[in-house]
Amino acid sequence: MRRPVLVRRDRPVRGGQPLAFAVGLILALVVGAILLVAAGHEPLRVYQRMFEKSLGDPTAWSLTLNRAVPLGLAGLAVAVAGSMGLWNIGAEGQILAGAMGAAWVARIGGAWPGPMLLTGMLAGAIVGGGLLALVPAVARARIGVNEIITTLMLNEIALRLLQWLIHGPWKDPDSFNFPLTPMLPDQGHLPTLFERAHIGVLIAGAVILVFGVAASRTAWGYELRVAGSSADTARYAGISLKRKILTVLLLSGGVAGLAGGVELAGTADRITEGISNGFGYAGIIVAALALLRPSGVAAVALLFGAVQVGGQSIQIIGVPASVSTILQAFILFGAIGAGVFVRYSVRLVLTGVDASASEDGEAAA
Amino acid sequence: MTEASMIGLLVATVSFGALLYLAALGELISEKAGVLNLGVEGMMAMGAVSAFMAAHQTGNPWIGLVAGVAGGALAGLLHGWFTVVLGAEQVVSGLSLTILGLGFSAYMGKNVVGLPPGAVLKPVDWGPLTDIPWAGPVLFGQAPFVYLAVLAGFATWFLLWRTGIGLALRAAGDSASTADAAGHSVVGLRLGAVVAGGGLAGASGAYLTLSLTPQWTEGITAGRGWIAVALVIFGAWRPGRAAVGALLFGGLLALKTRLQTFGVDFSPILLSMLPYVLTITVLIAISIRARNRPSPAPAALGTAYRREER
Repeated sequence: MRRPVLVRRDRPVRGGQPLAFAVGLILALVVGAILLVAAGHEPLRVYQRMFEKSLGDPTAWSLTLNRAVPLGLAGLAVAVAGSMGLWNIGAEGQILAGAMGAAWVARIGGAWPGPMLLTGMLAGAIVGGGLLALVPAVARARIGVNEIITTLMLNEIALRLLQWLIHGPWKDPDSFNFPLTPMLPDQGHLPTLFERAHIGVLIAGAVILVFGVAASRTAWGYELRVAGSSADTARYAGISLKRKILTVLLLSGGVAGLAGGVELAGTADRITEGISNGFGYAGIIVAALALLRPSGVAAVALLFGAVQVGGQSIQIIGVPASVSTILQAFILFGAIGAGVFVRYSVRLVLTGVDASASEDGEAAA
Repeated sequence: MTEASMIGLLVATVSFGALLYLAALGELISEKAGVLNLGVEGMMAMGAVSAFMAAHQTGNPWIGLVAGVAGGALAGLLHGWFTVVLGAEQVVSGLSLTILGLGFSAYMGKNVVGLPPGAVLKPVDWGPLTDIPWAGPVLFGQAPFVYLAVLAGFATWFLLWRTGIGLALRAAGDSASTADAAGHSVVGLRLGAVVAGGGLAGASGAYLTLSLTPQWTEGITAGRGWIAVALVIFGAWRPGRAAVGALLFGGLLALKTRLQTFGVDFSPILLSMLPYVLTITVLIAISIRARNRPSPAPAALGTAYRREER
């Protein structure tokens, strides 16, 4: 009997990852089309509308870019930790903490001039996100506590903290009892770039660029990769693992926090329960699809931003926005599936009795 | 605090505890085999919507339960296929499954949102036992799911620690190459564990829509899947300890809506942070103790296994 076995290729197929990504996208569109037909919609019409409303004109592009900002920063946060072999699952909570940090600065600095207030808010966001990553970072660096679970738990803790604030101490007195904070002061909005896009797009782009250069062109980035691939090698090379783990997780938290601050000052204007909208979890998918590379993160974030903006636009024609959620997940599953064949080839091998029999046969021959 | 409200709290503690326990047992089996599944929330949602729709269509709650288990198991199979067969990163696949399950269940159930249930699973009739003060309503007035959870707890313990398959399964989670060398199929064991885990998460979701809050709304799982993940760690990967944890966390869920009735001036939102805070504390305590004794976590948890690369 023959059975298929995955055999690692000597080197991955060239250009394989973009190809795997394309396969994921096609799979997602096919699955989405089946679901749409099953519910009595016309897939081509739905997809056309999604495309037009996310990439069809400058307004659409500006909305997509705004969406790509938190997705890209969250993706970068995950990628930075991932380059060292750490999983920051806590981007979702760190985004919330960042938004809370920025909102806190806006509360005390409501009368500050614009540049000072905005700088303070973004700094508050970075600190907020970093603070939420503090416990996982210290616990991982000092006593080796698994950061996957601690960061995951802190997502739920941050969400409760935010809910408590907007139901209680931070609730807008004029909100008719809705759980949300007051609007930001006028000078606390990020300036517009074009159409609906705000300068958060440039901030996110710059941060991703800086990390991209730092990861691939500096000794710091090199040490990260060494530490990520082998703890023993790192120790031998004199790299302090504890300090690296600590700084990387705090940085990762800070970057995710910045996403929350930019989302607040650029798009949301006030904190509601849904301010993060799952950006942190989507960011993990973005980072995975980008193979933890900053340049890839920017590209994938743009695509996911388009899918999300497109997903919102089809609600008007009676299609649930959950279609876009399903598409995002299937892009990943499709790309993972195809990505396996970038690194592995399938061989049919003989199994069991047949295998030993044929070996004997070869020996005899 | 009246006696009636106290009994009400205990009844809710047991039923919430069972809800969490079912999903946590599924995660426990999966993790024992070495597969971390962060898709519990999504599998629960799939189970919840499948159960509700099947019961709605057929009017038979038991068919609903079967559909719920099947929905969860199918979602689990997806995670198993990608992580166990294709060797994909478990964290990424699991979180994607959560996203997919929440989105897919919302899409599937959009026409039955808020509809009255076609059928509910009524509390089991234990006859005169139900009339015993306190113990009657708390232990014998519960939906079938509570007894299912107790049964599943014993079955999981027996399967994992008293059978050959259980030994092989735990070996697959501690040292896959050893299990392989002993002639077991690591892929088969792990895939089976993940699918079984999905089925239990599906049963937990079915409990929501067939009994606890018998209707379907988007996001009905409300983060309970994450508590189930926490419970496995809190219970140090043991069904018995996880049961204690389930009652504790279930009690916190039950208390949340009753703080005001009991005249306690404390934010229910802040109270609901406790399970997560406790889990982080336990995890840190485990790691500190692990310096002197082995960690209770399965040694190969989270790692893919390929025979060719051992």
